[in-house]
Amino acid sequence: MIPLHWYLLVAAGMFALGIYGVLARRNAVAILMSIELMLNAVNINLVAFWRYMAPEALNGQMFAILVFAVAAAEAAVGLALIISIYRNRETVVAEDINLLKW
Amino acid sequence: MQLPILESINLMAVLPVLIIAGWACVLLVFDLLIPRSRKHWTAWLALVGLLGAAVALFFQIGHFARLGSEAAFDGMVTVDGFSIFLQVVFVLTAIVGVLLALDYLPRHGIERGEYYVLLLFTTIGMMIMSMAADLIVVFVALELLSIPLYILSGFAGMRETSEEAALKYFLLGAFASSFLVYGIALTYGGTGTTRLTGIAQAVTSDALNLPLTTVGMGLLLVGLGFKVAAVPFHMWTPDVYQGAPTPVTAFMSVGAKAGGFAALIRVLVTAFPAIASEWGTLIAVIAGLTMLLGNIVAISQSNIKRMLAYSSIAHAGYILLAVAAAQRSENASFAIGAVVFYLLAYALTNLGAFTVAIAVERDDGTGTEIDDFAGLGKTRPWMALAMALFMLSLTGMPISGGLVGKVFVFQAALQAVPGDPLLLAVVIIGVLTSVVSAFYYLKVIMVMYMREGEGKAVLPLALKTVLAATAFGTLVLGIIPGPVFQMAQRAMLK
Amino acid sequence: MTITPITIAFFIMAAFTLGGSLGVVTNRNLFHAALYLVLALFGVAGLFVLLEAPFLAAVQVLVYVGAIAVLITITIMVTRRIMGVTESVNRQWPLAAGVSAIMAITLGFVVLDRFAGKLPVAAVPGDNIVRLGEALVNYDAYLVPFEVASVLLLAAMIGAIVVARE
Repeated sequence: MIPLHWYLLVAAGMFALGIYGVLARRNAVAILMSIELMLNAVNINLVAFWRYMAPEALNGQMFAILVFAVAAAEAAVGLALIISIYRNRETVVAEDINLLKW
Repeated sequence: MQLPILESINLMAVLPVLIIAGWACVLLVFDLLIPRSRKHWTAWLALVGLLGAAVALFFQIGHFARLGSEAAFDGMVTVDGFSIFLQVVFVLTAIVGVLLALDYLPRHGIERGEYYVLLLFTTIGMMIMSMAADLIVVFVALELLSIPLYILSGFAGMRETSEEAALKYFLLGAFASSFLVYGIALTYGGTGTTRLTGIAQAVTSDALNLPLTTVGMGLLLVGLGFKVAAVPFHMWTPDVYQGAPTPVTAFMSVGAKAGGFAALIRVLVTAFPAIASEWGTLIAVIAGLTMLLGNIVAISQSNIKRMLAYSSIAHAGYILLAVAAAQRSENASFAIGAVVFYLLAYALTNLGAFTVAIAVERDDGTGTEIDDFAGLGKTRPWMALAMALFMLSLTGMPISGGLVGKVFVFQAALQAVPGDPLLLAVVIIGVLTSVVSAFYYLKVIMVMYMREGEGKAVLPLALKTVLAATAFGTLVLGIIPGPVFQMAQRAMLK
Repeated sequence: MTITPITIAFFIMAAFTLGGSLGVVTNRNLFHAALYLVLALFGVAGLFVLLEAPFLAAVQVLVYVGAIAVLITITIMVTRRIMGVTESVNRQWPLAAGVSAIMAITLGFVVLDRFAGKLPVAAVPGDNIVRLGEALVNYDAYLVPFEVASVLLLAAMIGAIVVARE
């Protein structure tokens, strides 16, 4: 069987890439996509821990399901905000975002 | 006949939350039937729900004063003095949030029933946050607290700053939540559980887990530090506070902060006593930086909402100092008492200050400069007097709740680890920055009384009520703090 | 380490996941970035299958690829005028890369520190999904987070409608 830490390293890499995307991208949609990457990395962790540490317990998978729900809620709200800003202004304020400057 | 299921569920423990949650759903349907010109009915209905929750809380106080603490739903939530005290703060803040919006929303042409529904939802998130005894609940409650607030800060959609504030708050908030949930995942991996008490056992019994759980805790701190606006995760605060509609700013400056601190204390004190000196040091350093940055940058602000934003960062620093003081278990109940007392004093004072800001603000969203306060001393003597009291309380001057809160915080920090140079240094920073803060708080008083100006303000009955109540509360906490502090100190029952 | 079909599958899925993620954060064209996101999400679903969590793999495909990724693509299409930006990263990107690298090293270190080496692995119980479903609505298990999540989704729905209306 594949060692646990392989999965965890993939998750760590994905999370770090997500952080880079959030901090470096200028476009709100791209930042949102990077946040989704980070949440996916969390889910890899959770499911891997569940499988290797305690497959008979439920909390790892349960937590992953709740992360899905939260990710969906965040995406819905975030995309609504982006579209609304775009519609009200045509020129997109969501453009030219620099999270490190905020 | 009693249903056996209902007995074992222990609904009594979460009754206030259930009342608000159910009422929010009912309100959602009612709101459809209420004509557009009568939207204030929704506000009054929301108030009814909040008062219902307040009554339930009142009964819980008596119930749990006898029982101590009680776990419900197989230990997912804990109801104890701490959670009840904070839930009282949240419900009061929500009531103020409704009252402030009552005239503000129609005046600014942004009146919609959903405002009140979303306000109730985020209040539920805060209340569950204060009860959470499992990291899964901490996470979902934090999201329930945050997502309605993102929307509410963008509620004045036609104003460019409002929508920008919402987007900025959302992106940074979601970013911080992913840190939090990654930290939870690592902690779960290291300890095999998400239950706070279970984590505490696993961390002490197994040194192998230490690096992993320490990093996990660090990531948790990032997520919660963002919610309470601690340096270096404060960058969103000024823009969001300024851009959001003022009632929302008032509500979130108190509610979101208190919710964050509730989770911070529960998680650190319950789950990580084994690495208490590590988190104690870390939090003390963050506290010092937060006080310095908040107070120094606040001096140069000319906009009242921005100034209060930096002031709210600074106050997060003082509260964090008390959190750091909770690192030793003998001192924990005093330190936690100081935290919740400070939160209550800060809530009353800050809500009052924002009420005055709302009264001065003009219908187009301008009138939020400190210069707009000129002449209020003559035209609105009572309001100016109340504002002066709030400013003095935020500075920490005598006969105000702010002073007593600060004294308790400093005392807790000095008792925590006697002779610890770091905590002593942070206390000195705290005292010095309080003196510095007098510059910008007293400037508001000076402008009101010494400067000539129109002194225009709109003060309907709802705002008057809030103003009187918050000023009265600030005074009571300042003059007879004893009973409330004793209640606060009994807050965390083991 | 012997090479088995399982390890090969793992490497393919890991490559999908990490390669897709890299594409999302570096590609200048937003459409392409969204397609890379779909690739990364499929990679994660594959990892779930390898971890013997088929239900989560299915949810991953349905919720993430089916709903979230499509929603993102639609948003990009609606706000098409923001596409074709010449510079896709801001000037602070070296700092961002530094933060990201530090994070990757720290997380990699603690993970290797704790989990390197072989762990005894138990088998997944056959009725796992059944128990998962029951636990979600069992008041002695996960009823509270489940209900909070339901209220959260309701709040998000109302919020999105409030923002999008008018």
